[in-house]
Amino acid sequence: MSDTDKRSLLRHTVATLAYRGGKAVLNAPEGFDQFRANDSTRTPGQILAHIGDLLDWGLSIASGKQTWHDSKPLAWEEEIARFFTALEAFDSYLGSDNPLHAPEEKLFQGPIADAFTHVGQIAILRRIAGGPIRGENYFRAEIESGRVGADQSTRRVEFD
Amino acid sequence: MSVDDRRKLLNHFLAALAYRTQKALRDAPSDFGSFRIGEGVRTPAELVRHMASVLGYARTFFVGGHYRPEPLASFDEEIQRFHDMLGLLAQHLRNGDSLLEGMTEERLLQGPFSDAMTHAGQLALLRRLAGAPVAPENFIVAEIRQERLGPDQAKPVSPDKIWPEAPKGWQGE
Repeated sequence: MSDTDKRSLLRHTVATLAYRGGKAVLNAPEGFDQFRANDSTRTPGQILAHIGDLLDWGLSIASGKQTWHDSKPLAWEEEIARFFTALEAFDSYLGSDNPLHAPEEKLFQGPIADAFTHVGQIAILRRIAGGPIRGENYFRAEIESGRVGADQSTRRVEFD
Repeated sequence: MSVDDRRKLLNHFLAALAYRTQKALRDAPSDFGSFRIGEGVRTPAELVRHMASVLGYARTFFVGGHYRPEPLASFDEEIQRFHDMLGLLAQHLRNGDSLLEGMTEERLLQGPFSDAMTHAGQLALLRRLAGAPVAPENFIVAEIRQERLGPDQAKPVSPDKIWPEAPKGWQGE
């Protein structure tokens, strides 16, 4: 199996995470980062900080220097910026010629899949909080490998 | 780029989805399927049906036609249908079947596959909101295998020893 081919699809997965994650966190209602659905759940701010930690962890595994850090949530806009910065760093490594120190499958099933599940949680919390994101046909979304910043395509097939 | 290599990674995606969905559903309260946290928010049974629906939609790009799953009588049946659909979809990937209508592996990933993974996370959140949270683990060492797509998933290899948000009485896995 060619590692390059798998690595390329992994980059597309990271780009998808940027697109879907960006949609879940951008244009949220005022105070959403502190929203608590009940006493035992994390706030969106805490979840987004955790996603940032997961992406940092993923990069550390990929580069052979595995470290984990529990960060404290930043202000919402700063945490969003950190999310995209972490994605860019991870994607940059995946797009380089540097060796991967873990199989693509492990990078996917660990930090990346985890981040997807948490994006889903932020999305459902937006609905519970009364500020849902619009549905979308993601099949048709303009998701491009390497496009992992906040500047995602606005040409979307959305529906309510 | 080799299609075969991409499909192997997509197969692993489906296996991780099977694992994480079962992680969110295993040992759930008996009435969890109908738990509704608020108006307009899907219940777990509705979520699992939707997950089967998006994967079934993905499958139409191998077999044509349409796929709209009707509600089933029980949550267990919904869960089984979801896993059956995972198996069917994986078989197309393994067979190297052609994709219709210009569909690509990347679009399968960014659409229904990713959709379903986000919903697996929502099931876990609903477990917590229902008062029966799922214990954390290190997923990177989880026993996730491409041929294991049914409800019978492995137990965690490396469950967290410390769980600050654990419910009263939790004694570890």
